Amino acid sequence: MISELLERVHGRTSAADVVLKTDETVSLAFEAGRLKSSSYAQERGVNLRVVVDGRMGFAGSTADDVDALVASAFASASVGEPVVLALPGPEPVPQVLTHYPRAAAASIARLADLGKLVLARLTRDGSQVSVNVERSLGSVRVANSNGADTNYDVSTVSLSAELTRVRGDDVLIVSDHIAGADLPAETELEAMVDWMLQRVDWADRGAEAPSGALPVCFTPSGTSVLLAPLQLAMQGKSVLQGVSPMGDKKGKVVFDSAFTLVDDPLLDGRSGSRPFDDEAVPSRRLPLIDQGRVAGFVYDLETAGRARVAATGHARRSTFGKPQAAYSNLSIAPGALTFPELLAQIRDGLLVDELLGVGQGNVIGGAFSHPVALAYRVINGEVAGRVKDAAVAGTVYELLKRIAGIGKDLRWMGSVGVPAMVLEGVAVTGK
Amino acid sequence: MKNRLRDALKISRADYTEIRLERSWTSAVAFRGHRLEGANASLDAGGFVRCLNKGYGWGVASFTSVDRLSAMVSRAHEMSLAVRLNEPIALAPVPVREDDVRLDLDGDVRGISLEAKKKLLEGLNDLMLGYDRRVVDTQAAYRDEVTEYWFASSDGTLLYELRPEVTLSAVATAREEGGIERALESIGLRRGWNSVQHHEEEFLTAARRAVELLKAPRVRGGRYPVVLDSKLAGVFVHEAFGHLSEADFVYENPQAREMMRLGRRFGSELLTIGDDGSAAGLRGTLPYDDEGTPTQNTTLIQNGVLVGRLHSRETAARMGESATGNARALSFRHAPIVRMTNTYIASGKGTREDLLSGIELGVYACDALGGQTYLEDFSFTAGYGYMIRKGKIAEMVRDVTLAGNLFHTLDGVDAIAGDFHWNQMGGGCGKGFQVPLPVTEGAPHIRIRDVAIGGDAG
Repeated sequence: MISELLERVHGRTSAADVVLKTDETVSLAFEAGRLKSSSYAQERGVNLRVVVDGRMGFAGSTADDVDALVASAFASASVGEPVVLALPGPEPVPQVLTHYPRAAAASIARLADLGKLVLARLTRDGSQVSVNVERSLGSVRVANSNGADTNYDVSTVSLSAELTRVRGDDVLIVSDHIAGADLPAETELEAMVDWMLQRVDWADRGAEAPSGALPVCFTPSGTSVLLAPLQLAMQGKSVLQGVSPMGDKKGKVVFDSAFTLVDDPLLDGRSGSRPFDDEAVPSRRLPLIDQGRVAGFVYDLETAGRARVAATGHARRSTFGKPQAAYSNLSIAPGALTFPELLAQIRDGLLVDELLGVGQGNVIGGAFSHPVALAYRVINGEVAGRVKDAAVAGTVYELLKRIAGIGKDLRWMGSVGVPAMVLEGVAVTGK
Repeated sequence: MKNRLRDALKISRADYTEIRLERSWTSAVAFRGHRLEGANASLDAGGFVRCLNKGYGWGVASFTSVDRLSAMVSRAHEMSLAVRLNEPIALAPVPVREDDVRLDLDGDVRGISLEAKKKLLEGLNDLMLGYDRRVVDTQAAYRDEVTEYWFASSDGTLLYELRPEVTLSAVATAREEGGIERALESIGLRRGWNSVQHHEEEFLTAARRAVELLKAPRVRGGRYPVVLDSKLAGVFVHEAFGHLSEADFVYENPQAREMMRLGRRFGSELLTIGDDGSAAGLRGTLPYDDEGTPTQNTTLIQNGVLVGRLHSRETAARMGESATGNARALSFRHAPIVRMTNTYIASGKGTREDLLSGIELGVYACDALGGQTYLEDFSFTAGYGYMIRKGKIAEMVRDVTLAGNLFHTLDGVDAIAGDFHWNQMGGGCGKGFQVPLPVTEGAPHIRIRDVAIGGDAG
């Protein structure tokens, strides 16, 4: 279908590219302690982009109708914006493992065993446990009018678990998930379960929330409030639109030298890994913040053309939209401290695992103020109990200027890898 | 198509089988600043089969290869047989229907050129860009959809629906001396081209508010009496209470069941809350849910007392209650789960001014940028707000986030005005990866005695 599409538009376009994605996913849902449903999902979608008279058009479809797709792409180009697209040619493709035969071959029973193992370890009286296990097998093929035609296969196995405990009107929800291209090792599952149970146990006791400008340890999932503004600010498009606070700071030191943020699509077996992006641009590791210094922004071909920079290989396209720059495997570089050593930095403060409302409001501005969903008081380096009715506030771009400590264990949650971090001077408001 | 569905059901060996098929035409136009992000049309087609067998769990197959329908019916049956269950899954009975429902397309969007759609949005986007030099960035979006939908179940129900949808949204970003503020407005309707004409006011409002917010101070954090406008009150009832009333949260959880037991008092006599999937002309309205159950008006809280909850056929059977027509799926890619439709706080008495009077110092919180709940705890970010001083609306404030505990907060609702209306916004509800599902929220102004407002430390 890909070759047919490119042939059909040849001669009528100055550039064209196509991406075809297929996916077959098996998912198992364990609800309230038992396997409840099993699902199979099949998906096949094609996305065509054309440049006609210098204007870009695009169209997508899950139906196999070549004529309709071509007509739709040309209609889109007729009202489209002028673009400069430097389509890649046939280029050497870097090596990265995205497909594990062992994951692809796993039977439903084998996948169910993963869920059962986690379920058995998490199940306790008075709490409900839900577990989802999912295995996707997909393929991506990208070709363009410049001679690029390349493809790869992907496997993804993900497991998510949620434990809910209701006592009267007191509710505790602890959740976690892991994802990668291979079946998770038993040790990885055990580590996830241990960390969930640790958070449940810590919540057995309640603690008063402190107030003031205090040191706060963010768990790996708690760091999402710190990453949210950066994920927007490091987009080349935000820079082009003049809304990124980092836009005019390239090459400048803006954060603590302990802070490094990297996007790396070439890590073996991670869920965001890929040898090339959805525009056939070969993948490469891209430092975004390098030891506190603003080092780079992510671009797809269109935004790179507008910014007159080279594309960074970050295009992602769904069946229906146009390519957009997106991160692959985004991670904060780990530090040197164990988790107890991180907590030991805190005489009186908080351990924050989940906040309510992250991602709402004026995110790119960096200012945040959120009530805690799951947080604990830390006194003299020890967890003293769960705090409720507390809120934390601050400005991410200021807080990252002084980092008290970064954990040495990198936790991958899907395609985002983060260590725990201690920041100073976070505004904590108790009841 | 109906015959294909009947044939596919005939070959199924499962005890219960349901099939949905969908074909959606979508077009979308988006501007970012002065630049057109894109204008395009897409076609999405696919199906969903779900099977249930005695002694086994649900088996599901979803697919884009519609020509393989019968193979997918077999696949769903096999998937069910992979799940051994001791306690059988029962489904509450619902009336068997054969029905064709063609909703008013109100100017079929499929007959309008992309050029015309682009022109409409460009005019609206230019209003934002031209409003003030401080408006440095905009996002304007138009999206429409017409879906042909078929549902068939082995119970005998066979439905065809033609469903339109159209949304317009405006985001204005204003910048001055390092300060960046954004304001949003949106319209979402289950209608067509005619209904998206003449919405200049919403786009100008977004631009005006973004500029006004530049001068507004951050609200001073603390506890205040708060008046919520209709939009924020609607989002509040949806997020903070609505999700708890979804029976899939309680039906397998004895403690949650106790927390949400019918007859429990949740607030004062003033408070009545419901969900109405059958309300005429709203975005969350459809004749049937995605299990073929007719939609209805379900009262959840009557004068402060919990009287109902939202069900799928499975949760209703499990709890010995009736299906309410709230099993909804985002698309053929998803299984139906318990969802809201059009959720409301019923109208009370008096005006906004009546609610403000008597408040010495408080916050008037308007519109919602978002909300999140952690069961009984919630957080909302208002689009903007004003201080209330001596019973009157005073200066504008920004970064107004509200947080609290649902039970205390519902208990603290001490006045409900008589100015109810439905807010037909874009966006939609998210639950379990199924987002954005079209819903509507409606409410009058409400007053809450004591709410924690985040902002600058107080």
